[in-house]
Amino acid sequence: MSLLPSPFSFKDIRRWINEIRWTIDPFIASQLLIVVSVFLAFLIAPLIRIVYNAFIYQGTLSLAWFYSIFSDPFYISPRISLTNEFPYIAIEGIKGSLYKVITRQTDSGIETIILLTGYDMGVIPNTILVAISTTVLSTIIGFVFAFIFARYKFPGAEPLRILLLAPLLSTPFVGAIGLKKMLTSTGVINTLFYDILRILPFKIEPSGLMAVIIVQTLIFYPIVFLNAYTSIINIDPTMEEQAENMGASGFYLFRTVTLPLSLPGVEAGALLVFILSLEDLGTPIVFRGTNAEKVLTYQIFYRLFTPTGYVTGEATALAMILLTLTIVIFLVVRKYVSLRRYAMLTKGGIWRPRVRKLSLKVTILVYIAAFFTLFMALQPHIGVLLLAFAGEWGPTLLPGYFTLDNFLVLFSDPDVFRSIMNSLIYSSVATLLIILLGVSAAYIVSRIEIKGIEMLDALVTLPIAIPGIVIATGYFLIFLKTPLDPIVNGAYLLIISYTIRKFPFTVRAVFSGFEQVDKALEESAINLGASRARAFFTISLPLVFLNVLAGGMLSFIYSMSEVSTGIVIGDANPYTAPMTWKMYDILFKGLTGGLFVPAAMGVILMGLQFIMIVGANLLLRKRATALIGV
Amino acid sequence: MVRIKTVNIVKRFGNFVALRGVSLEIKDGEFFTILGPSGCGKTTFLRSIAGFERVDEGKIFFDDEDVTYLPPHKRNTGMVFQNYALWPHMTVYDNIAYGLKVRKVPKEEIDKRVKEVLKMVHLEGMEKRTPHQLSGGQQQRVALARALVINPRVLLLDEPLSNLDAKLRLEMRAELKRLQKQLGITTIYVTHDQEEAMSISDRLAVMDIGVVKQVGTPEDIYNRPSDAFVANFIGQGTFIKGNVLEIHDDKMLIELESGLGKVYAVPSDPTNAPKEGETVLVTIRPENFELGSRKDMNNFEIDVYHVSFLGSKKRVQAEANGIKFLVDVDPDAVVSAGSRVKVWVDPRYTLAIRIS
Repeated sequence: MSLLPSPFSFKDIRRWINEIRWTIDPFIASQLLIVVSVFLAFLIAPLIRIVYNAFIYQGTLSLAWFYSIFSDPFYISPRISLTNEFPYIAIEGIKGSLYKVITRQTDSGIETIILLTGYDMGVIPNTILVAISTTVLSTIIGFVFAFIFARYKFPGAEPLRILLLAPLLSTPFVGAIGLKKMLTSTGVINTLFYDILRILPFKIEPSGLMAVIIVQTLIFYPIVFLNAYTSIINIDPTMEEQAENMGASGFYLFRTVTLPLSLPGVEAGALLVFILSLEDLGTPIVFRGTNAEKVLTYQIFYRLFTPTGYVTGEATALAMILLTLTIVIFLVVRKYVSLRRYAMLTKGGIWRPRVRKLSLKVTILVYIAAFFTLFMALQPHIGVLLLAFAGEWGPTLLPGYFTLDNFLVLFSDPDVFRSIMNSLIYSSVATLLIILLGVSAAYIVSRIEIKGIEMLDALVTLPIAIPGIVIATGYFLIFLKTPLDPIVNGAYLLIISYTIRKFPFTVRAVFSGFEQVDKALEESAINLGASRARAFFTISLPLVFLNVLAGGMLSFIYSMSEVSTGIVIGDANPYTAPMTWKMYDILFKGLTGGLFVPAAMGVILMGLQFIMIVGANLLLRKRATALIGV
Repeated sequence: MVRIKTVNIVKRFGNFVALRGVSLEIKDGEFFTILGPSGCGKTTFLRSIAGFERVDEGKIFFDDEDVTYLPPHKRNTGMVFQNYALWPHMTVYDNIAYGLKVRKVPKEEIDKRVKEVLKMVHLEGMEKRTPHQLSGGQQQRVALARALVINPRVLLLDEPLSNLDAKLRLEMRAELKRLQKQLGITTIYVTHDQEEAMSISDRLAVMDIGVVKQVGTPEDIYNRPSDAFVANFIGQGTFIKGNVLEIHDDKMLIELESGLGKVYAVPSDPTNAPKEGETVLVTIRPENFELGSRKDMNNFEIDVYHVSFLGSKKRVQAEANGIKFLVDVDPDAVVSAGSRVKVWVDPRYTLAIRIS
């Protein structure tokens, strides 16, 4: 990413400047200026402020925060000491266990509950371990299914494939609410398999970090699935045919040709899951109580919750640690998900993919695996749906009775209704801003070829890597007591944070549109006398209109369901808070409605998501496959 | 219509130099072709004239106006792109009217001029169609109409025929030439197809790796290649390296390599004639060989390994001392693969090209 030609001489620099002056006309320059300044002010500046604050202790530059964090067993508990005996190293301080067995007396006799909890090694190792576990599990599930569905034909494959993508239709927060109800010892799964069907000899209840891993895996595996699927079907079949022609077959062929060629997609998907797991705040919130809150996002969140908006140095240091983790991963991801790379990945698919029929035995195995995964993956949706329509729900398989009351509350309770309206307004405004800025950014990255333009590509894809909680922390540091103060009115910062956080969705969709518009189409307009601005508005923009619409819809829906900045900035002023904050508020502040009203709100979100994603897919047809992949 | 002049234009892309000082002068109303293999810089040259590439050095003039730094949309050139670049979201009418709307031409006049130009390219009544409802040849005509309707100072054509099938290509070639002569518009045409370049151009420039190798009429370039690359790229022939032994008034004696003996030859480019002791490439076009042997002519004995019948002639591929010969003979001549034949060629058609 060198900005200057190297080795650079005075002449080279002059050439470079001339090139820029020639390529960047006033129209492009103004687009560039606006996009860059928005990102500098609302993404880069808050991050710099966090880094700055993290190194300030009692008014002086110091590593004190980091020293206290890294020496506190709460953050890192394992202690390594040297011993005299083999293996000469001892590790102490790992608390908890993978599972606990609880036996208890009930009316029908003694029941055994296996409580999956997971080790507690302190906040920082926990965070990394959860992310690694989620990534590994999601990658295995995602890749296996991707390979099966990309390469084998069996009855029902297509509907099954689409159903397996269903978890994309939920956010960790909404999904976790549903899953929690399904997975507890009195939840649907244990009631069904232990109490009614008596298949299980004991009850299983995931809790704490284990629950976080399971929920995240069930919600994130489709990302690997989609990316891997796309890259497998895009492998030129002649590559494999050539290998077969030279005598390779079976696993050897898979290991030497198919796997390496599909790896970029799998890796991109896996790394994105890793980042999403690191920055997930909703799941730890829902499962807090055991040790689920001992992850970085929750700890920062916990420290931000003060009515004054004051952010402690410890919180900024934690935010910086989380940021460092995600940025490192992002730099690796850049190899795969820069806008340009993305365009390369999605072209193709023109050939007939290699598809084989499965034998009956294997088909049945695939069905069993798929249905089990599907059954598990649909738990959040089933859970949320049941809760939303439930009147009361004890330790029974199904709710006591069904009702629409929970949905009526959405309109009758003025606080709930206002939060929904707030979300709709903020998301709409954010989407408009995203489209305005995103189209410009996508256009510049796709059309302008000068050294240094890849910096813009990096800048506009960067939000993928920045945890919402970190952005929120930065906003509190910078914008308190300014006209944007979230305590006075959260609307501005919420809209801005949605705009920045959901920017990549639109910019990718629009970029892929511009990449499909031949440059010559614009050049011929310019050749006929149109200025670049005129060519842009009369030629390029109409041709990518569908991409803009589809990308905008995705950004809109992901803004609606944005959890971390929504809750944190929203909490500063309940009157201007969005619906995700209201869900949190009802769930954990002991207000009326319990699980049921948030579930109803979750159903509204899922419904909107369904409409928008199906809509975007219909608009873009095949091109959309990988769009949702973040 | 204008005269176009480029002075030493240089264009770099990073470390790659696409144009290495190209100076050309294209006359008013001339059909001028830039011919060269892919990557030779011909498209970059055309795009520099249109203004899409900013040249790093040198000047470009339209008549006496320096347009080197004039942005593309103010140059008033009409360009036809290789893939036509018709806008899929506009009708044929809107495509053609675009340049006129940009120029704020009144509505009635736009109607009139679009109609005229459609008639000119034989597409009357197609106004309401969209580009994907047209055949390749029709799309080509629309692209041409769109470029012509604005009365450009120069017409720029970037391999416009390469996407058409062989038969249509011949038709469009004639059509293009007819229109160009009718309008008298200065035209720069870029192609890698030497036959196309030969048949359509008033003059052409042969380019290689960013350098103009030769400029001239098609006859000049075929019969008097000034450079080994041009001799090879244009037409076919037999190429033998040799050393100049003696210079006579109008011809020179050359000792051929590979033990093929001595021949008399004429300098291919009299302005750059080889001198005594220099290495030259002796070039003979296939149609200049005759069967048999003759005194005072250049005689060869060649081993035939392949004969192909091409209708109006037979093309003989042969070899002598490791040098490949291409010889055209009458279609009824008896020459067969595996035989050894004698051929001769007049020294006037034996061209000596200086190898630098």
